[in-house]
Amino acid sequence: MSEARGSTQLARLARMGFANTQACQDTLDASPALDAKLEFIKDSPDPDASLVALAKVIASGGLDIDSLGEEKFRDLATLLGSSVAITEHLERHTSHINYALETTDVPTAAQMLSDLLKAISTLGWDEALLALRVAYRRQVSAIAAVDLRAGNESTAILPGIAQALSDLADAVIASALVIARSNVKDDDKVRMAVIAMGKCGARELNYVSDVDVMFVVEPASGASDQEAITIGSEIAKAVMQACSAVTSEGTIWDVDAALRPEGKSGALVRTLDSYLDYYHRWAQTWEYQALLKARPMAGDFDLGNDFVAAVSPLIWQASSRPNFVDDVQAMRERVTDLLPAKDADRELKLGRGGLRDVEFAVQLLQMVHGRTDELVRNPNTLLALEQLATWGYVGREDAATLDAAYRFLRTLEHRIQLYRMRRTHIMPTDETDQRRLGRSMGFSLDPVADLTKEWKKHAREVRRIHEKLFYRPLLQAVAKLDSNDSKLSADDARSRLKALGYVDPDSALRHLESLTSGVTRRAVIQRTLLPVMLEWFAATPDPDAGLLGFRRVSEALGTTPWYLRLLRDESATAQRLAIILGSSRYATDLLLKSPDAVNFLATEESLMPKSEKELLDEALATAERYDDPAEAVLALRAMRRRELFKISASDILGLTEIETVGNQLAVVATATISGTLSAIVSHTPNAPKFSIIAMGRYGGGELSYGSDADVMFVYGDVDDSTYPNAPEQAAQAAHAIANELRTLLMAPSTDPELAIDADLRPEGKSGPLVRSLDSFAAYYQNWSSGWETQALLRAKPVAGDEALSKEFISLIDPIRYKSDGLPESELREIRRLKARMESERLPRGIDPGLHTKLGPGGLSDIEWLVQVKQLEHGFKLPEITNPETMPALRQEVVSGLISQSDFVQLESAWKLVMRVRNASMLVRGRATDTVPTDLIELSRVSHLLGYGLRGGQQLTDEYRRLTRRSRSVIKREFYGEVETS
Amino acid sequence: MQFELPCNTAVTQGLHHGLVDKQTEFVLRTIEERDIRFVRLWFTDVLGTLKSVAIAPAELEGAFSEGIGFDGSAIEGFARVYESDMLAKPDPETFSILPWRGEENSVARMFCDIQLPDGSPSWADPRHVLTRALSKAADKGFTFYTHPEIEFFLFKNQPEKGQQPVPVDEVGYFDHSPSGVGYDFRRQAITMLESMGISVEFSHHEGAPGQQEIDLRYADALTTADNIMTFRVVMKEVALAQGVYASFMPKPFSQYPGSGMHTHLSLFEGDRNAFYEAGADYQLSKTGRQFIAGLLKHAPEITAVTNQWVNSYKRLSGGGEAPSFICWGHNNRSALIRVPMYKPTKGNSTRIEFRSLDSACNPYLSFALMLAAGMKGIEEGYELPPGSEDDVWSLSEPERTALGIAPLPQSLGDAIKVMEKSELVAETLGEHVFDFFLRNKRAEWEEYRSQVTAYELDKYLPVL
Repeated sequence: MSEARGSTQLARLARMGFANTQACQDTLDASPALDAKLEFIKDSPDPDASLVALAKVIASGGLDIDSLGEEKFRDLATLLGSSVAITEHLERHTSHINYALETTDVPTAAQMLSDLLKAISTLGWDEALLALRVAYRRQVSAIAAVDLRAGNESTAILPGIAQALSDLADAVIASALVIARSNVKDDDKVRMAVIAMGKCGARELNYVSDVDVMFVVEPASGASDQEAITIGSEIAKAVMQACSAVTSEGTIWDVDAALRPEGKSGALVRTLDSYLDYYHRWAQTWEYQALLKARPMAGDFDLGNDFVAAVSPLIWQASSRPNFVDDVQAMRERVTDLLPAKDADRELKLGRGGLRDVEFAVQLLQMVHGRTDELVRNPNTLLALEQLATWGYVGREDAATLDAAYRFLRTLEHRIQLYRMRRTHIMPTDETDQRRLGRSMGFSLDPVADLTKEWKKHAREVRRIHEKLFYRPLLQAVAKLDSNDSKLSADDARSRLKALGYVDPDSALRHLESLTSGVTRRAVIQRTLLPVMLEWFAATPDPDAGLLGFRRVSEALGTTPWYLRLLRDESATAQRLAIILGSSRYATDLLLKSPDAVNFLATEESLMPKSEKELLDEALATAERYDDPAEAVLALRAMRRRELFKISASDILGLTEIETVGNQLAVVATATISGTLSAIVSHTPNAPKFSIIAMGRYGGGELSYGSDADVMFVYGDVDDSTYPNAPEQAAQAAHAIANELRTLLMAPSTDPELAIDADLRPEGKSGPLVRSLDSFAAYYQNWSSGWETQALLRAKPVAGDEALSKEFISLIDPIRYKSDGLPESELREIRRLKARMESERLPRGIDPGLHTKLGPGGLSDIEWLVQVKQLEHGFKLPEITNPETMPALRQEVVSGLISQSDFVQLESAWKLVMRVRNASMLVRGRATDTVPTDLIELSRVSHLLGYGLRGGQQLTDEYRRLTRRSRSVIKREFYGEVETS
Repeated sequence: MQFELPCNTAVTQGLHHGLVDKQTEFVLRTIEERDIRFVRLWFTDVLGTLKSVAIAPAELEGAFSEGIGFDGSAIEGFARVYESDMLAKPDPETFSILPWRGEENSVARMFCDIQLPDGSPSWADPRHVLTRALSKAADKGFTFYTHPEIEFFLFKNQPEKGQQPVPVDEVGYFDHSPSGVGYDFRRQAITMLESMGISVEFSHHEGAPGQQEIDLRYADALTTADNIMTFRVVMKEVALAQGVYASFMPKPFSQYPGSGMHTHLSLFEGDRNAFYEAGADYQLSKTGRQFIAGLLKHAPEITAVTNQWVNSYKRLSGGGEAPSFICWGHNNRSALIRVPMYKPTKGNSTRIEFRSLDSACNPYLSFALMLAAGMKGIEEGYELPPGSEDDVWSLSEPERTALGIAPLPQSLGDAIKVMEKSELVAETLGEHVFDFFLRNKRAEWEEYRSQVTAYELDKYLPVL
């Protein structure tokens, strides 16, 4: 052969699409007959592989290629170029080639069953297993040949292929059962039905997949239940073994019986009664959902039919079970959580928008509507989807889009699996593999790019499946537009909304109608936005409130151009909004006061409250900007509302730790109070020096949303030149400042009030509201009682004259941190006072165990313990003299005053109690001092705290447990109780 | 190519069953056919007292779907924690006709689960306490079976206050007295139990005059607990019909043994007895040994529940067969736990016998705690201490100390103190029931402590 001819030949091969032209030429040199057939080989998904395989087959003498017509030759090349696994099989069993090529339509179930049974008849265990595998592959080759021959029509015949693969699985199990029975002693004592579950049950099996089954047994006449179970288990094990065992002819697939009652730890076989007993008593919603696909596949069909007939009514009852909605949400979360991050963007099956999600969503819709409408009951995904669309439960267009996407993704998955007959649903990364896949899917021009484009297009549609399947039809239900589509009836819309967690579907439908009616651009955007919003609301504790809030915000921001655009373009923002509206009345109220705060939801950064310094600067600048202090305080209270919204929103979204929330709330209070004081003082002629000392939980930087700010007011001494009657006038001026401050911060307004509580001052309510530094000094020198000393532990100057504040602290330090610590007599007095408070201060008629402040093991218990240690050791250990409970407690642990194990109990109780307090306020919009006892409020609080909507009793249980443990620490460490062993 | 899938025909058939499940349907049909006039809904308070609400058959369908509302504040331990009524929801699986109410105008009963209006089970319901413990074990693959031997006394009639009770006979253990009241009583009682679907394994006259023992067949713990509640009612009803009085009081006579409820326990993994291991000592598997170890270790903590009355401790201190020492043995009738003789033909019969329980306990709470204690032993892999074949009562205290055998709490007061510190009990009962139970028992103990007894008068008045 000349050089020139050789290079022309190589160029010809290259033009035809062969990749490794020299290797192909070598093959052709060895099998020259193939040269004439290159035309028919070149379109194979992998022409190089086809060529080599053909050469091998010819060389083995198993095939006369000239006897094949052009069509069949093409088909063979396609088959060999699509699957290494099938090629290997055909090379060893060349007689199967003709069978595959002559199969024009997929073999029927009956054909396959008789073929397989014939293959194994009268053989012993080992031979039968080999024969079964060979016969199985012969049929798979034929099915694959039909599948591949369809080229870019493959998606059209996908359901038929999947059904044929399921029929083949039935035949395999039936044969395995025959083999198993002939290898188990006394097998005639048991009747056995094999029930197909999962994809096989739905007749939509993949090329390679575990086959899900359950085994039902009954004793044959004369045998006992126990015998039936023992022998049945042996047969079942043998069936599984017959399918999965690896032999010289390979394996078939694994038989998976994990969907049975109690899963892998449950009995492998059960009697019908035993199944029913379980499903009546123990089964979970997902198990009923799994039963949706149950059908008898092999063995005793009478028994199998009895089983399915007995369990199927249970399926349709499941959606009326009280926890159905929760279960469904939990199941959906589980499915999306399983997403393996590594391959997430190449996954065809798992994760959000995968094939599994389509199957799952279709099943759920069936469970919701199938209860009353038997027309939509079908285990098969595509058929069910079609029926749901036919009867108006899903929009026709959405159904068509999903149908196309599902077919495409499944076909792609088939092609990927076919190559090596491996159970995979990951798109390969290798370009050669992608090229082969693209060609086999009918993309011949630019296989890789076109395949990727098409795949992404479908995946995008599937990713929005819940929106399409569940929510969009709800909008059609309220749409006034005439259309020929049958649409969801109002009743069905109501039952769907209920299943999705909406308690008041009528109002929900009204809101939807109001938001989407009309032809304005707003209504149009809402129609695309709402299905997603509805989905997000459904995941919150109060979807109804979410939707109502959304309607109100949308109405308030009506024509604001950025509002809908922001929500449409930034889905994270819209999701944050949905969570907040559906979780918290408190935050919703703040938002409705000034809806443009939606802007803060744009990013997590924009939600962060301002820093202490920034906020203080803003407050002081605001105070300066107004001539009228009243005006200034209105602006300051608006500033506070804005910050409260940001704090509560980040809290609800889980962005903030509980201790930080308390600090943030104290910072906002401080800025507001400082600004207010500054505005008042600058308009008070000859104002005395004035300071505000934070006390209580405000001093401790651990405010809750509903807390008052505890303070004391102190003013400085004045010289006689300013005030002729210095003491009285200064006192009057100081009183006026304090009073005005309280009035302005607590005056009725659209913004939340900041309640200023000065009851912790000397002599409490009967003492003067404001005292001079001297007066404080005199008082503490002569009168101070134990509780006042204790209250001073949390005194922290927050606003006003710095020098005066310092003097005040120098004044009280020797009083609160005495050099001789806490004498035994005073300790006893404190303990007694605390004990009396517990019996007297707790409101009547409530469960003391649920009182967050005064209940056993609650806030006041923990604070008093920390404070007693401070009184005892504060003088010697300045590091523990911190008004903040938790930091002080941590230091007391470091100083060895509290043991590490006690600290763990105290800290976990304190955190849960604080979280419950805050969550109650967020949910209710009103403060409370107890764990909610109203069931609905409790369920929302428990949802917000991560215990789930029905976790109220669990939360209460946990609350009681942690506070009980903290109380036992308090009994020992605060009350000095001696533990008996 | 054809693409036509047969619809799941059986599913379509299922439709004609309507939307009620088979058992509910059976109940509704039976009520119709048997002309039942009233249905009693039974549940149990935290102290183990049976509560009953009667409803007309017409209300039953509503009861199945929504439950029957009631104010929980009147029921011991159901205190109104939440601002709403509770719901009693009948369990159709427990439907049974009350045989003593006759064939005409008959009355049926069902046990109920107590729920909150949102459908979640009430954590104050003892039946739910047990269900929770069972499903926790089920998560680990175990099912819990129990088999109680219930002892009780028959008295000539209901004793007046301050009167000594008079037993119906003077015969003893296993005595056969064909004409005796006890014999007739047992025959009729067993017939009634069987007609309510409660199988009786064994029955005989016990050691003390008038004392009977009836053993129920083993069943899963929830069914057994329901059966024990039914059993107590049946015994009281049959006694009433025969003009005698049945009592489950743990120790009515100082001089005779009290009424215990020795209970055989076993764990199954699927259809396999998890306590059984061929060839091991007493055929007792590692799981079985750890379970016993758990029960022994936590026995003091759960005693306030398994022996919940002041009077219970009089039985425990009675010597003889009273199991008041924490040890186990193979055939030791003085040990807290006995591992009975293994029957070679029945691998599934391997079990252990817990002997401190008395007939007046709350079976739901007791079973939940026994299971939890045993499961703790399995989870933490406790080592089983050596068994003891001695009669523990005949050992001296130093001997017992040397053998590492500690006593159970000796009074309700002691038992409360140990229980207070038990995380295991708190977790198993739930904090609400735990808290209520302790408060109630503390009050009982306080009340008892201030009593001046006949014993004191007899002993001190003459000499002091």
